[in-house]
Amino acid sequence: MSLNSEALPKSQEVTAAPEASNQPWEPKIVGFACNWCTYAGADLAGLSRLQYPPSIRLIRVPCSGRTNPQFIIRAFQRGADGVLVAGCHPGDCHYSTGNYFTRRRFLLMQRLLEYMGIDPARFQARWISGSEGPKFQQVVTQMTEDIKALGPNRKMRDVE
Amino acid sequence: MRRVGVFVCHCGTNINGVVDCEKVAKTAAGFPNVAFATDYKYMCTEPGQDLIKNAIKEHNLDRVVVASCSPRMHEPTFRACIESGGLNPYLFEMANLREQCSWVHANNKELATVKAIDLVRKAVAKVVKNEPLQKSRISITKRALVIGGGVAGIQAALDIADAGNPVTIVEKEPSIGGRMAQIDKTFPTIDCSACILGPKMVDAAKHPNIEIISYAQVEHVDGYVGNFEVTIRKKARSVDLKKCTGCGTCQEKCPTKVDSEFDMKLGKRKAIYTPFPQAVPNKPVIDRVNCTKFKTGKCGICQKVCPVDAVDYEQQDELIIEKYGAIVVATGYQQFDHSAYGEYGYGKYPDVITGLHLERLINASGPTMGKIKRPSDHKIPETVAFIQCVGSRDEAKGHAYCSRTCCMYTAKHATLVSEKIPGSKSYVFYMDVRTPGKGYEEFYKRTTDEYGAQYIRGRVSKIYEKGDKLVVRGEDSLIGRPVEVEVDMVVLAVAMEPQSDAGELARILGISVDKDKWFTEAHPKLKPVETHTAGIFLAGAAQGPKDIPDSVAQAGAAASKAIGLLSKVEMETDAMVSSVDESRCSGCLICKGICPYKAIDAKMIQERVGGKMVERQVASVNKSLCQGCGACTVACRAGCLNLLGFTNEQILAEVEAVCL
Amino acid sequence: MITEKMRTAAKDLLEKGEVTTVIGWEKGTFWYNSTPVFISKPEEVDRLVFDEFCANNLAKYLMDYRNAEGKTAVFVKGCDARGVNRLVQDYQVNRDKVFLIGIPCSGMKEAPKTAEKQDSSKLPLLKKCQECATPNPVVYDLLLGDPVSERQVPDRFSGVEAIEGKTADEKYAYWQSMHSQCIRCYACRNACPACNCRECCFDANGLNWLGKQNNVQENQMFAMTRAMHVAGRCIECGECERVCPMGLPIMEINRKILKDINELFGPQDAGMSLEDKPALGQFKLDDPEKFM
Repeated sequence: MSLNSEALPKSQEVTAAPEASNQPWEPKIVGFACNWCTYAGADLAGLSRLQYPPSIRLIRVPCSGRTNPQFIIRAFQRGADGVLVAGCHPGDCHYSTGNYFTRRRFLLMQRLLEYMGIDPARFQARWISGSEGPKFQQVVTQMTEDIKALGPNRKMRDVE
Repeated sequence: MRRVGVFVCHCGTNINGVVDCEKVAKTAAGFPNVAFATDYKYMCTEPGQDLIKNAIKEHNLDRVVVASCSPRMHEPTFRACIESGGLNPYLFEMANLREQCSWVHANNKELATVKAIDLVRKAVAKVVKNEPLQKSRISITKRALVIGGGVAGIQAALDIADAGNPVTIVEKEPSIGGRMAQIDKTFPTIDCSACILGPKMVDAAKHPNIEIISYAQVEHVDGYVGNFEVTIRKKARSVDLKKCTGCGTCQEKCPTKVDSEFDMKLGKRKAIYTPFPQAVPNKPVIDRVNCTKFKTGKCGICQKVCPVDAVDYEQQDELIIEKYGAIVVATGYQQFDHSAYGEYGYGKYPDVITGLHLERLINASGPTMGKIKRPSDHKIPETVAFIQCVGSRDEAKGHAYCSRTCCMYTAKHATLVSEKIPGSKSYVFYMDVRTPGKGYEEFYKRTTDEYGAQYIRGRVSKIYEKGDKLVVRGEDSLIGRPVEVEVDMVVLAVAMEPQSDAGELARILGISVDKDKWFTEAHPKLKPVETHTAGIFLAGAAQGPKDIPDSVAQAGAAASKAIGLLSKVEMETDAMVSSVDESRCSGCLICKGICPYKAIDAKMIQERVGGKMVERQVASVNKSLCQGCGACTVACRAGCLNLLGFTNEQILAEVEAVCL
Repeated sequence: MITEKMRTAAKDLLEKGEVTTVIGWEKGTFWYNSTPVFISKPEEVDRLVFDEFCANNLAKYLMDYRNAEGKTAVFVKGCDARGVNRLVQDYQVNRDKVFLIGIPCSGMKEAPKTAEKQDSSKLPLLKKCQECATPNPVVYDLLLGDPVSERQVPDRFSGVEAIEGKTADEKYAYWQSMHSQCIRCYACRNACPACNCRECCFDANGLNWLGKQNNVQENQMFAMTRAMHVAGRCIECGECERVCPMGLPIMEINRKILKDINELFGPQDAGMSLEDKPALGQFKLDDPEKFM
């Protein structure tokens, strides 16, 4: 189950053009973005043409409180190098209290993952509001850099 | 196996300039479950949409993915498109190839294309698990309830009633009118408050669609938008409203005098009383706490003199239960208790009063018949000091916020004092003067220029007695010196704060209050009159400090929302709601505490266990109330709750598609 | 002697018809086993015993008697009583249909290494009893015996801290070795009073995103999921660790979460009273958000 850092993640091997093998390794970050704030913030980053590394794949959820810790475990098991959970700032949740529960749950989850031996830089939770396009850009860029330094995630994977 | 159609949009060159759309479409055609894939220049245009509709027919598609811009942009457009193409609108997903791909990865076309392919694969994986969803419909009771009979409540009731809906105003005092009835003159026009409020009060009383229940409070609210069941406690007035003619004889003959709350305890009322002469309804109430008959059993004069035998000492509180479709909360404000500012002599110096006290002194039907007299010795004050921001903008002893109205009403008070007491001098100690409304700045200028009020920028540190005068010691920060003025009376502009029972009312209604206990609006900018609880609206100072024009405006806004709600026979609710798998639910109800909308409740179901019928508790989601946040689905350990449209299976399919 | 009192109390309740079933312990196959017993006739009360091998948490069995006619009596030690509170709070057991007979407990002993009878006072306490902070039942309808003094508990989180002190790779190796030994017997789940769902998400057929496969990754999913589901609700009875046939350090995960909850959200203990709310079912406006 070893993965040397020059080999590409599976999807790229199947679909990338031959030239793609010259690309340096790009981490695969799965992001859970709340529809009302973070997803809107990401859209705003797009509207403002702010550039960031193509490492992140956002999954839209109605509220960050919808994100089940089991999704995080599954993401790592299926080969994610990093996971981001992002939602509205506490007090601004479109559904009034969802992100207060998110906050508690993911504080525990992050510590539990760290306890299991996963580097805390691989799992991040952030508050990104709908007007914070630059913050979204900065979070993704920083996370990509941090995870690039750590290399591909070999822990918890159940796939090649 | 599903038959998914994938439509990749070029969006001109917005997407195609970076992402190789043709390649994405070709690759998508090879994904499992995809029956048809193509690319096109502009998917959202009419020919683009026709392309989708035709493809649905030609290729017998049962799910559609459009890879284009953000779903926040065009999801409703494409949902409507496939609905007219014959599919349930929820059998649809979008891949965001523009805002979250081509526009942000313009420097790396190859990886942008790789990402685009991932995003399309993700959307296909999700849509394969989409199920057709239906919006549900609920009926609406065409009646509105307005809680609070101040100017905001009255205005909201009038607007809703004029639109043809029956309205009930529930007011906890014996009369409607609220704070505006206590005020003498209103800024910036200095017109008489009772003269402009009075006609509105009468309109409300006479309106065929408005029912006023005064001396009553809302005790309990059940139900949900369109179908509220409200328990109202009609407190015992001890007067039969059907018989009473409002002649006033009982009040005249009553021997017991009590401090009048309406007059801020500067004057007296009787134990059987109407709070002010223009009260609506103009029928009295017995204050059972202070009435001699109720305290000792003796007296009973009011009953003897009543010509129509309307006084009823045996009357009890009455609880009624009524149904309403919409509720407007207009409970107003109360004044901040400035006892925290001991240095201003609260309780010690009777001549240190608040703005509302001064209103009653100035008012012609007030305790001093409109003559401004010092509460201590009834002499007319020659000099008056006004202190702004008592309890406002003060995190240490009061509230952090600005109460918005005080700068204007202090200027108004200084103007009126100057008019009514020729030769008098007013000093106003201020931090800033805030005059944001129409004509407000001009009014303030006149106060200083024409009416001679002296504005001193600085806080007051102490007030003490010197003989029969009060010395106000403060600072003039603009010259950087301490200042002391000797005055006859001090008026404090105390903060506005929510009513003391606002928190309790919020709990009864299921709405929230913010850290300062003002009722919380659904969105601070875009939804200032709605709450997070569907069907309950806010009007007036109950939502935050504001003056009369803003209260009336907000009341109209709340009324328009209520009218919109009540104009429908049925209401459509969101299709993407939570649903419980009752066969697996253990009834632990942890979901109930998590739901911000109180949409989950316990339900008893019957099942056969060991040959006999037993009852079991399960959770049940009210589809009309559920807003689709999904917090409950995470709280449910057994996974019995799923959010339709964002099910666990759909999200995990997306995770797998993205990672693998 | 507690055993005598048990038998008297049970006989009394059954004869008067106040309860239809009494759940307690009886001697098992070996002298060092005391296993659960379910008595419905007064004549059977002599089977009841209370000795230093009555380790089983009887609270969970109440779930089997939810639909029984009449009330059920159950003997509860300190840990068991918190288990009952947990079940009542989760609406799985009706407090009015249960009669609790509390027994203050000074700890249960480990089974000896060899089968021949020996002096049980020389046997060590079970690990879960060494760490017990609630030897006296917090809820009961009848108390047998005098309350025992609270023991000086060794540092509750020392095991957790020992693991926290390892490097990330060492931690990973430690837990991978645990997960690879798990045989997915679900004994931990079945014994746990906080695991009281009607159908466990891992047993459900429809939830095809949770696997029943017995490989390292699925075992890890099970272990972490169970820990997160029990988070804030765990009563620290230690049954999960005691019943695990593979001897896995399950309490070290539960304790890690307990340590974090205490640090982040304030000290709280589950199952002490019926009014407390689980940590993940509530929030404070000023909860910490250090890494967010």
